[in-house]
Amino acid sequence: MSMLADFLNDLVADVDGLFLFSPSSSFYERFESVETGLVVVAPQNSVGADQFVELPLEFENVRDRVRFGLEGAMDEDLVDSGDVVACALGTFGDDSDTILRVRADEKMHSGMYDLFTNSRADPSVIRDVFEVAIELGKKGQKGSPVGALFVVGDAGKVMNKSRPLSYNPFEKSHVHVGDPIVNVMLKEFSRLDGAFVISDSGKIVSAYRYLEPGAEGVDIPKGLGARHMAGGAITRDTNATAIVLSESDGLVRAFKGGRLILELDPEDY
Amino acid sequence: MQAQLGQLYNAVPPRIWLALGVLVLGVLLSIVVGAVNRRLLERAGLPSIIEGTGFERLAQGLGTSTIAIVAQLSTYFLIGLTIVVALTVADVGYTDTFWTRLVAFLPRLFVALLILIVGILIGDKVELLVAERLRGVKLPEIGLIPTLAKYSVFYLAILVALSQVRINTLALVVLLGAYAFALVVFASLAFKDMLSSAAAGIYLLLNQPYTIGDQVKLGEQSGIVQEVDMLVTRVETDNREYIIPNRAVFEEGIVRVYD
Repeated sequence: MSMLADFLNDLVADVDGLFLFSPSSSFYERFESVETGLVVVAPQNSVGADQFVELPLEFENVRDRVRFGLEGAMDEDLVDSGDVVACALGTFGDDSDTILRVRADEKMHSGMYDLFTNSRADPSVIRDVFEVAIELGKKGQKGSPVGALFVVGDAGKVMNKSRPLSYNPFEKSHVHVGDPIVNVMLKEFSRLDGAFVISDSGKIVSAYRYLEPGAEGVDIPKGLGARHMAGGAITRDTNATAIVLSESDGLVRAFKGGRLILELDPEDY
Repeated sequence: MQAQLGQLYNAVPPRIWLALGVLVLGVLLSIVVGAVNRRLLERAGLPSIIEGTGFERLAQGLGTSTIAIVAQLSTYFLIGLTIVVALTVADVGYTDTFWTRLVAFLPRLFVALLILIVGILIGDKVELLVAERLRGVKLPEIGLIPTLAKYSVFYLAILVALSQVRINTLALVVLLGAYAFALVVFASLAFKDMLSSAAAGIYLLLNQPYTIGDQVKLGEQSGIVQEVDMLVTRVETDNREYIIPNRAVFEEGIVRVYD
């Protein structure tokens, strides 16, 4: 099997950096002596690495995970554009079982890292909304699939570019996404038509909103319905982020600046 | 042989025998109480509560544990009491006044020691909790606050313990008063603006005279309300975001703009 070892050598030859995805502390210690280009990508910096990119979600899709790590590292200038890096990550389990070689360049830039860290809303709020959408997509409303549209951040502008379909159930309430009771509430209210509007700090401002953005110049894949169109368009007119759960295919999609940034399958989480 | 034993029995007055019995019984009882105490404290989940506190670590370094110390303390207390009772039964006259005073003093000493240990534990725990709470604040000087909280609790514990054993603590109480007074004065001076903002914020949050998305005008600034929280209101125009303390909303009033 020496060919295999050779291949592995080729794979990691002349790399400019090494990315460890959610390494265990003993695994990390083996690489601690690597001086340049060692980056840890994990939900928490539990190993105390100097160069660290925080994963807001445990992306089940390996491509998404690597892409997020690379984008984060490029954004924080941990690697330069054009660098070739080796990634060690776990595809099937928590242990690192995969090595892959990838070039960090602008083509990798999908705006995924931007979506979490450079949005108007707090990263934790975006993450919480994602979690709610994913859970809603997994379980549905009483077993049947359900769709939902969350507009996060820049709530003042969003409220001015939308109108109420009916009385706002969240009026004079102080509910924030991430509160334990909220998942149940949002699940119940997802029966209502219209969008949820969530402020920068995570306060649920309104449900039942009919969004009225100008839809010209919105670039979203054809075949997606009115909900996605409305969500995509409002992010072009405002600085908000839209997180949409599709009723027909059950995927969670995120829009920013009128562009589809991220697509997740709730069943993977 | 038997006769000799009988003689011995007769030679010692029954009172002494009784005292010896009390002594043996008392010692046994206190050991049992100590063991029961230890079990009870362990059952109550004390080890996990005090885990990581300085006192517990010190005790562990000395090859014992806080619970063992507390249990031992109760044992010693009861043994001491037993000895006193036994001596009283044996009617050792010449020590009368001394012992009665000691008997009165012993429970106090025990309680004082207990208060001291509990105080140290609580102080350590408070330090840990405060430090945990402040961990998100990345400021080197912040390390002073947990230590300050710890020693405040220590000070209180020592004060209570000393007053338990009837040592005059007036000076220390005055010192504590001055410390608390200074704390309150400085805090209210420093947080004056924040407190008035928070009071206004409570009203704004409860009654919501304006809410996210409303067009408002405050003094010279006008824009869309983006966020209302306890201390500030964020108002945004096309390229500016004004962060207005809620105090100002109350002092100057806010204008809602309809067009």
